[in-house]
Amino acid sequence: MQFPLSFWDISLWLAVTAIILLVTSELISPYYGKTNLLINRKRLRQTALTIGILFMITVAIRIYGIITSI
Amino acid sequence: MRTKPSGIIGYILLFFGIISLILSIPYASSILAFIGLGLTFWGALLLYIKPERYVKVDLLDSMALSTLETINNLLTKLNYKGKAIYLPPKHLKDLKSAKAFIPSKNETTIPSTEELTEETIFSTNPEGIFLTPPGLALTNLYEEKLGTSFTKQDMQYLLKNLPKLFIEDLEIAETLEIKTSNNVVHIKITGSVFQNLCKKTGKLSKINTSLGSPLPSSLAITLTRTTGKPIIIKKTDLSKDNKTIEVYYQMIEE
Repeated sequence: MQFPLSFWDISLWLAVTAIILLVTSELISPYYGKTNLLINRKRLRQTALTIGILFMITVAIRIYGIITSI
Repeated sequence: MRTKPSGIIGYILLFFGIISLILSIPYASSILAFIGLGLTFWGALLLYIKPERYVKVDLLDSMALSTLETINNLLTKLNYKGKAIYLPPKHLKDLKSAKAFIPSKNETTIPSTEELTEETIFSTNPEGIFLTPPGLALTNLYEEKLGTSFTKQDMQYLLKNLPKLFIEDLEIAETLEIKTSNNVVHIKITGSVFQNLCKKTGKLSKINTSLGSPLPSSLAITLTRTTGKPIIIKKTDLSKDNKTIEVYYQMIEE
């Protein structure tokens, strides 16, 4: 018995989630006049950036793997 | 206290997400794992980003209005005609406090040092009254959020940081513009949460023309702390749709 998702599956999931969160975070920014949404925008932005950075780390690992395999 | 809907939804998503993740292992199903991962993440996210405690704007307005009416009645009964002069911190004992002096006559004379050092309410030379401005707590909140004291900053700092504070950090306005020319500072605020309060205080003549409602008053204290000069609220304009508040501040040379 093992977890059915591979490292690359997680990387793909992180990419999709990061895009959704980053776009949402930008669209609900108070700079566009969206001041009536009752959510903690700072935390949403922090989460979006964290997921984005995690995805970039998986990309860096992949690039490192390609370079060292040559 | 009532549980927020986003909290309930968050817990439900989290519950089904964890079940799905656990089941994905014995069934070796990547679809179940993806579903579980998604549900767990969004459940946790909903719980993490759920709103802090908010109060309705009407409630906020109602609380502030009666105090302002009292000040307006007091000034009307005393028949004080002068505009409120926001005194700079050098005249105050505590940097976190603020004082506005309202002269009895239509003049801009600042009281003598003896009058200022004594903790009196009424001044005799020149005749007038010292009041704590309605925007003092707001200004202290601005300083707390920015993590600085305006007395240590300059106008450039305000031009750079005040719009961000109003729009992004405190979310009390949609836009904020500051323009300075000579000794006049023009601040334009749109979509403010205080727009209804400003409309209501517009009927209170002494508040509107002299001391200012909490938002213009807080900005007057901010300016007097930053520039170190006495400030007068020269003019407050509210647009017909109540969305835009324009305030003109005049700096006085001592």
